[in-house]
Amino acid sequence: MKTTRFLFAGAALCAVSLVLAGCNLLPGRSVAPKDDSKVPLTDVPERVFWGDTHLHTSNSVDAFGFGNRLPPEAALRFARGDEVTSSTGLKAQLDRPLDFLVISDHSTGLGSTQALYDAPRLLIRDPRLLRWHDLFHGSTKDSLQATAEILAAKGRGESFGAMNDPKSSEKRTRSIWNASADMVERYYEPGKFTAFHGFEYTLMQGGNNLHRNVIFRDAIDKIKTVLPLDDSGHTTPEALWDFMEGYEKATGGHVLSIPHNGNLSNGLMWQLVEPGGGPMSASYARRRASHEPIVEITQIKGDSEAHPFLSPNDEFAGYGTLGWDQNNLLNNQPTKPGDYAGSYVREALKRGLAIEQRTGVNPYKYGVIGSTDAHTSLSTADENNFFGKHPGVEPSAHRASDSFIPGLDKVRMNWQSLASGYAAVWARANTRGAIFDAMMRKEVYATTGPRMTVRFFGGWDFNAGDLKGDWVHAGYKRGVPMGGTLAAKPDAKPSFIVSALKDPKGANLDRVQIIKGWIDKAGATHEKVFDVVWSDMDKRKAASGKVPAVGDTVDLANARYTNTIGAPSLSAVWTDPEFDPKLRAFYYVRVMEIPTPMWPAFDAVKYHIKLPADVKAKGQERAYTSSIWYAPAG
Amino acid sequence: MRDRLRTVLREPLVHFLIAGAVIFAVFSNLPPDAGERRIVLNEGALTRLVERYVETYHRAPSPQELQGLIADTVKDQVYYREAQRLGLDRDDEIVIRRMRGKMQALATSEAETKQASDVDLQAMLDRDPAHYATDVVTSFDQVWLGPDSPATRAAAAGAVERLNAGAAPASVGQMVALPLHFDRASTSDVSAQLGDEFAAALRDPPQGRWTGPIGSGLGLHVVRVVSRTVPAKPTLATVRQRVENDWRAGMIARAEDAAYAKMLAGYQVEIARPK
Repeated sequence: MKTTRFLFAGAALCAVSLVLAGCNLLPGRSVAPKDDSKVPLTDVPERVFWGDTHLHTSNSVDAFGFGNRLPPEAALRFARGDEVTSSTGLKAQLDRPLDFLVISDHSTGLGSTQALYDAPRLLIRDPRLLRWHDLFHGSTKDSLQATAEILAAKGRGESFGAMNDPKSSEKRTRSIWNASADMVERYYEPGKFTAFHGFEYTLMQGGNNLHRNVIFRDAIDKIKTVLPLDDSGHTTPEALWDFMEGYEKATGGHVLSIPHNGNLSNGLMWQLVEPGGGPMSASYARRRASHEPIVEITQIKGDSEAHPFLSPNDEFAGYGTLGWDQNNLLNNQPTKPGDYAGSYVREALKRGLAIEQRTGVNPYKYGVIGSTDAHTSLSTADENNFFGKHPGVEPSAHRASDSFIPGLDKVRMNWQSLASGYAAVWARANTRGAIFDAMMRKEVYATTGPRMTVRFFGGWDFNAGDLKGDWVHAGYKRGVPMGGTLAAKPDAKPSFIVSALKDPKGANLDRVQIIKGWIDKAGATHEKVFDVVWSDMDKRKAASGKVPAVGDTVDLANARYTNTIGAPSLSAVWTDPEFDPKLRAFYYVRVMEIPTPMWPAFDAVKYHIKLPADVKAKGQERAYTSSIWYAPAG
Repeated sequence: MRDRLRTVLREPLVHFLIAGAVIFAVFSNLPPDAGERRIVLNEGALTRLVERYVETYHRAPSPQELQGLIADTVKDQVYYREAQRLGLDRDDEIVIRRMRGKMQALATSEAETKQASDVDLQAMLDRDPAHYATDVVTSFDQVWLGPDSPATRAAAAGAVERLNAGAAPASVGQMVALPLHFDRASTSDVSAQLGDEFAAALRDPPQGRWTGPIGSGLGLHVVRVVSRTVPAKPTLATVRQRVENDWRAGMIARAEDAAYAKMLAGYQVEIARPK
C-alpha cells in the first residue's frame, strides 16, 4: 500500500510537469554489458543463423497507434521461441525460434504515442494533439485514423511539439531508449540468442520512403552514450552517416545502416545522381558504401528484388509488387514508370556498376537480407502463422478482405501484404560481433520466410568434382563466398559452386537460378537470368532458353501442398558461358520453391471464409543471395 | 518491465481519482471526499495550470486565457461528475478497458520492482533444470539416402552394412547440400539444419558405427555418431540471466493472477445461458 501511495504522488507530480516529456521515477538499475568474448568462433561459418533486423514494438509511434501494446520484452521472448499473447489477445508462438533479433523502433517520437495516450486530457492544449488523444481513446478505427493522420503530417515534415520535437522530448526519448536497451541486454544470450541494439531512422522526402535500420555491434555501455538519431527536418541520409561516424569515433564501436523498401521510394532510394542533383561523386559513393553494406530486399510491405517493368524477360520478377508499385509509402504521390529503376535492388546493383565505371567506386555494392517490418512486436514470416503488418490486421476472419489500414487505405489491400521475410547470416558464432561482421562482409541472404540453406562460392577453378568432396572448405579456400569480389585472372572463366537445401520443415525446391548483371563498353547495363539446376532435369528439358514450370500440388480447399514435385536439394557448379573479362559484372542466386499456399489460403481454411476472387492465395517463395562481383583488371 | 511501471507512473491523475474522489484534492493535497459537490481550484492547482501552459507555449497565459483554462477545467469536472452520476461510465467499453488496464498495472507494479535473491533463483533452476540445460553436443557423420519412400527405407539396411564394412560415405548415399561430417553440433544447430525429428533421433544411436535409417525434413539418412557430450547440470552462475528473466516475468504474471483471484472472490458471478 505504501508503494501505491508513493506511485500516486509521484504520478501526480510527473503528470503535471512532464506530461508528454515522459517521466521515470525509478532509480536507474543499470544492466551490465554482456561479455561474449568466450563464445568460440568456428574456422568458417558452419551454419546459417536466422533473424529479423526490422521489428517494431509499442514504443514505435505508429505501432502503438495501430494498437500494439507489447513492449520490447514481449518481442524478445517471442523471437527466442516463447509463447506470448498478442495485442489483440491471441496466443502467439513461433514454430521455430529465431537466432537473433533487432528491435528497430522509430527514433522520431519514440514512445510519444503512448505518452499522448496516457497524458491527462485537461493538460493537452494543442488542438491537434487533443484530437489524436481523443481518437486514440476511441474505437480501433479512430485509433487507426489518428495514426494515419500522424504519419501524413510526418510525411509533410510537420512538427507537433512535444510529441516529435527532438529537443522537448529528449527526456522521454532517453528514458525509453535506456529502458529498451536494458531489456535487449538482458535477453542477449551469447552463443544462443543475439539481441542487437538498434533503431529505425525514418527518413522521408515528401512521403517517399528513404528509411534505414541502424544496428549496433556493441553492448549497452556504449549504447547509452547516444540517443537514436531523430530524422526531423532531414531529407537526405548524410546526417545519419555523420551520426554513425560520430558514434564510432567517440566510442570505438561499430554501427551499420540498412536501407529498406526501395519499392516505396518513387525512385529516390537508388539514384544515379546525388540527392542534391549532379552526378554522384566518388567520395559520396565511398561514404555511402562504407555505412550501408546490405539492403532489405523483401518484407511485409512488398518485395524489392525486381519489377516486371524493368525485367520483362524474367517470369519470376514481380513477386509481391502488386499494390505496392502504385504509390510512394504514404500514398501521397503516384509512382511513374520512370521511378521504378531507382526503387528495385537488381537495378540498384546495375546502377552501382555504372557509377563504379565512371567514378571507380560502387555505392550500391549491396548484400541482401529479408526482414518483417512487423509492427506487432511479433516477427512472423511463416504463411501458416502470420500475424500481419500491425495489430489492425492480426489474424481475423475479415483481414483477407480488409484494406492495408482497414477502412483508410484506398490503394492497398491487406492480402497484398507478404508473410515475408527473414535474414539469413553465415556467421562464425551466434554473437553480436560475429553476426555484425558477417553483415559487413555481406555473407548474408534473404528469404521470403522459408528457411532454405543456400551456399554460393565464386572462384576460378571449381569443377563438378568438387561437389563430391568437402566443397564448403574448398569454396572458402579456393574462392570467395557470397558478398565477395573476384579480381581478374588472365585466361580464366569464373566458376561458381551453388547449393540449396530445402527448409527441413518446408516445401521442395523448383530451381536454382543465377542472375547476372553487367555493364558494356558503351556504359549500358544488362541483366540475364540463368537456370542453373532444377528438379527432374531429365524430364523438364529447357525449351528456347526456358525451363518448364515445376507444376503445382496446391490444394486451396485445405491449404495444403505435397512434396511430390521438386527436389529437397539442388547443387551445381556453373561457369558463365558468356563471360567477358573486360566487363564489370555481378552474380547472385535466386532459389525458387515449388508453389505453396499463401497466408490468405490458411485464413480461409481456419475461419471458413471464401476469399474475394482477386486475392492471390498461392505463390513460389524464394531466397535471394548477396552477389559475387567480378572486377576487370585495371 | 520498467516500461510497465513507468506506464503506471505516467497515468493521469484524473484517472486515479475516478474510483471515487475529487480531482482537485491532489492539486491541493487535501484528502478527497467522494460525496462532495464542490469543485475547488486552489492556488496550487492554478499554479500548475499556468506552469503547464508555459511549458507548451513558452509564455504565460494572459488573464483572459487563464480564465478560459479555468472555465474549461471546471467544465470538464462538471460533465465528468454528472456523467458518473448518470452511470455513463458503466457501459462504456473504453472506460472499462482503461480501468482494467490500470488495475492490472497496479497489481503488478510491486512485483516489477522486486529483486530476485539467489535462493529464489536457485529454487527456480532446481524446479526445471532441463529447461536451462545447455544442449547435448554431438559429432557425427551422415549419409543421405534420398526422399523418404518404401524403396529407400528398404535400401537402408544394405547401406548401413556397406558403410560398417568400410565403404566410403560419398560412394553410398546421394549428393545433398549437407556436410558429411558434423563437428560438435548442438541439438539446436542440428534442429535448425535437419529438423527436430532428426535431432531427437540422434540421441539414441550407439557411438562408433553406422545405424539407421533416421528421418529428417529432407528424407532418410544413415548416421554414425562419433562422440556425444551431455552437458553438466546447469549452475546458477552459468544461466543466471535467463533464470532471472523468467523469474521476473513469472512473478509479474502471478501477481496479476493473484490480485484478480482475490478480487473475483468478492463477487458472485451469475451467467444465464439460454436453454
